[in-house]
Amino acid sequence: MASIINSIAFENFFNYYGDYEDNKYELDEGINIIVADNGAGKSKFFNAFLWLFYDQILDSDTKKKINIRNAGVKILSDKAKNETPKGSYVKCGVMIEYTSGTRYKYQIIKSFTATRIGEQITDENSWQFVINEIEVNKTELVLHRYKPVYDEDEKTRIINGLIMKAFRKYSFLQGEEVDDIIDFSKKESIEEAVENLTDIKKYEQIHELLDEFKNKAFKDLQKQLKANNAQNERFDTAVEEKEKNEQQIDQEKIKLKQWTDTLNFAEEEKNELDKLYANAEKRKELDDKLKPLRKRLRDKQEEFETFLDRINNRFFDGNFAWIAMGFEEEVQKFRALNEHYIEKRYEKKALKNVEENPNEYFHFLPENSPDSVSLQNMIDDEHCYVCNREAKEGSPEYNNLIKLKNRTKDNQSQKPFVKNDLKNFFGDLQINAQTFYNKFDGIRESIIKTKEKEVELKDSIEKLKSKIKSVDEDRNSIMIAGHDAEQSARDIINNYTGAVRRMENANSKINDIIIPKINKLKQDLKAINDEIKSLNKSNDIPNGFNENYEVLSDLEEASQKAKDRVFDGMISLLEKHANIHFKNLIKNNDLSGGILKFEKNPNGSINFNYIDSKGNSVYGSSEGFQRMKKFSVVMAIISANNAEYNYPLLADAPISAFGEGFTEGFFEAIGDVFPQSIVLVKELFKQDDELKINELGKRLLKDPKVKTMYVNHVPENAEQIDIVTTQTKLK
Amino acid sequence: MTAQEFKSLILLKRPRYAKSRIPVIDAFANKGQSKSEYSQFGPIYELYIYAFRLGLKKGLKLPLPTRNMTQDFIEIGKWKRDSSLVDFLLMIIFSHCEEIGFDWNDLEDMEEKELNQVVSNIIEFIESYANGGLQYLQEEWENDNLMNSSYLFADLMNE
Repeated sequence: MASIINSIAFENFFNYYGDYEDNKYELDEGINIIVADNGAGKSKFFNAFLWLFYDQILDSDTKKKINIRNAGVKILSDKAKNETPKGSYVKCGVMIEYTSGTRYKYQIIKSFTATRIGEQITDENSWQFVINEIEVNKTELVLHRYKPVYDEDEKTRIINGLIMKAFRKYSFLQGEEVDDIIDFSKKESIEEAVENLTDIKKYEQIHELLDEFKNKAFKDLQKQLKANNAQNERFDTAVEEKEKNEQQIDQEKIKLKQWTDTLNFAEEEKNELDKLYANAEKRKELDDKLKPLRKRLRDKQEEFETFLDRINNRFFDGNFAWIAMGFEEEVQKFRALNEHYIEKRYEKKALKNVEENPNEYFHFLPENSPDSVSLQNMIDDEHCYVCNREAKEGSPEYNNLIKLKNRTKDNQSQKPFVKNDLKNFFGDLQINAQTFYNKFDGIRESIIKTKEKEVELKDSIEKLKSKIKSVDEDRNSIMIAGHDAEQSARDIINNYTGAVRRMENANSKINDIIIPKINKLKQDLKAINDEIKSLNKSNDIPNGFNENYEVLSDLEEASQKAKDRVFDGMISLLEKHANIHFKNLIKNNDLSGGILKFEKNPNGSINFNYIDSKGNSVYGSSEGFQRMKKFSVVMAIISANNAEYNYPLLADAPISAFGEGFTEGFFEAIGDVFPQSIVLVKELFKQDDELKINELGKRLLKDPKVKTMYVNHVPENAEQIDIVTTQTKLK
Repeated sequence: MTAQEFKSLILLKRPRYAKSRIPVIDAFANKGQSKSEYSQFGPIYELYIYAFRLGLKKGLKLPLPTRNMTQDFIEIGKWKRDSSLVDFLLMIIFSHCEEIGFDWNDLEDMEEKELNQVVSNIIEFIESYANGGLQYLQEEWENDNLMNSSYLFADLMNE
């Protein structure tokens, strides 16, 4: 008789603004999926069940469970709060309908009424809350008409009937809580599961009873012996020996207890650190990756800053000469002016010469023309090669050649012909300024290139930033809530290896020293007991005492063995089931096949390990993988139960750490284990899709095992008071 | 007077700017100090040369107010030492000799007093256009017309 939730509805509950009819999810036997992005009412949906069963909600800010009495302002829809005038009241509640078996259907409503008495809607003092009485209604399935249930016991029975208390933790998964359901760091957790699933408690009670009887029988026997053999020294020695031996066993047991505690403590720490260890290593790896990236970013940013600061230097730096842009005309003009100036200057000079010495016209000849060597040749040859005429010594032609040759000397003794000789001033400007005006053609290009360089630098900074962001996100997603984020990866690694070392140490103490010693003492005890028995025979005591003791000893031993057998049997059954589920869960992953192994410690606790194909324990691995392992055990506990599991699975994003391969496996696996699953998930959400679901979501939509599928919506970029969750039923 | 002496005459001059331009100078020339929200020049002379160019190209000639309303800064000879920037600048200025009102060849025959007057005119020429350019920048800045980009000044030259 499975419990099946038919519907769940909300009234002004968090973002579920409006009455029950506006926010109703019809659900079926099989898999029900509610897809919702972050902030779209996923955890709120889950909170409805927390309210229903425990009068609590999980505060998403602090991750702590708080009582409904202290959470009124948080729970009540902001929009509803805002629309309630001062002095008026508004209702908030959750309503669940479920069927149990084929006859009855139940309706449970938990609600409160809030009256507004102040201005500030988010202030607790602005509201008066009254928790309404739990409404429980019942109907026969054929009647469709609810009748209220008034009897408190029946109300409780009906609420508990939805999911029995002992099984809620297996039915009720919220994200990381999968980790806590089967907490392998506590040996009780598996034992507790075995207790819930078997009648092992009865065997334990029988064993305790028989042990007590056996001890009593021995005391009775001893009394008889002493009474009959007060003088029998040998017997007394044997009994003394027996007592001494038993004392030693007790002492060793105390030691065993101490070492077992040490072992358990170390193991607890190791298991606690298990998920962190893998993460810590990964985190360290990412840290190592981040460091050089951050340095490169710093360098690039510095380069960029310097680059920007120096852009304006390019106006005045001769290598770029941007300031020259647009001065082309001026430079042309300067050259023309300079030519004109030189020309005018020579004219001036020549005129001045002619003025002073009208016959020295040859001064019109350019300097060094003809050159002095040619002139000397002409003088030596008494012939002018310029006009090809004779120039005999003493002739005016000859004298002219002599004068020409001596022209340089005359020049040196030449007097300045202007007051201020600025020829070099202009000449030097034109030569020196070349650096600038030679750049004219390239300036526009140079500016474009500079802009390109800026874009290039910006690009590489953006690339580095996004790379760092992605590595950083990976890194931040690794640490798990509940653990001190500041705890360094190195500490975790050190603590982890420390715990493993202490475990090994305690194990060797227990298995190599204490247990062999206890076994030896027990053997001795058996021999002593036999000896006592033989001594008894020679004594005249009533047979009944001996027989009574022997029979009770045998029974005690048998009950102990029976209990162990039941326990071992259940453990191996759990192991088998866990492996089946595990295989299903990982089948879409390229994880190399290993197996889950339950191993019994000498002290009775259960070790749970993942053994690779070579038979070695695999420590560490990712958080998702760890959770998958545990989820396999949760499902094993349910499926190994002889009877069919009768309760729905309510899961809030249990797969966020699993990855897509696992996610697919998850949906297949739960269909086989739970009669009804209600899974709230964000991983299937896709904002820019028409249906708002991704490819995997679409595959699941077609899957006949998936009975209903909803997508939750919240308006984008809305003010808090306008955030309202609406839903679309896809199936 | 030699070419060198004539050049020194110019290089020793300290051009002036109107005190009313101090805000715009503070905004756009960091003088090696803190940064502002705008793209900046380093020393004042950089902004000054830039403003001169802007004024000249835009034809914004604006004589300085009376002397006590102005302020000087470092002499031209110290602008960007070990660079031919000032030579280039002088080239531009001497190409505008007509506007300033002298003839190159005439310079060579002038008395020292006359030459000093020409140099004064040259400096006034620089100051007037720089002042015009600064005023333009100041107005644009005050009216929020300046695009805050690293290429603010390069882009402004193209307008």
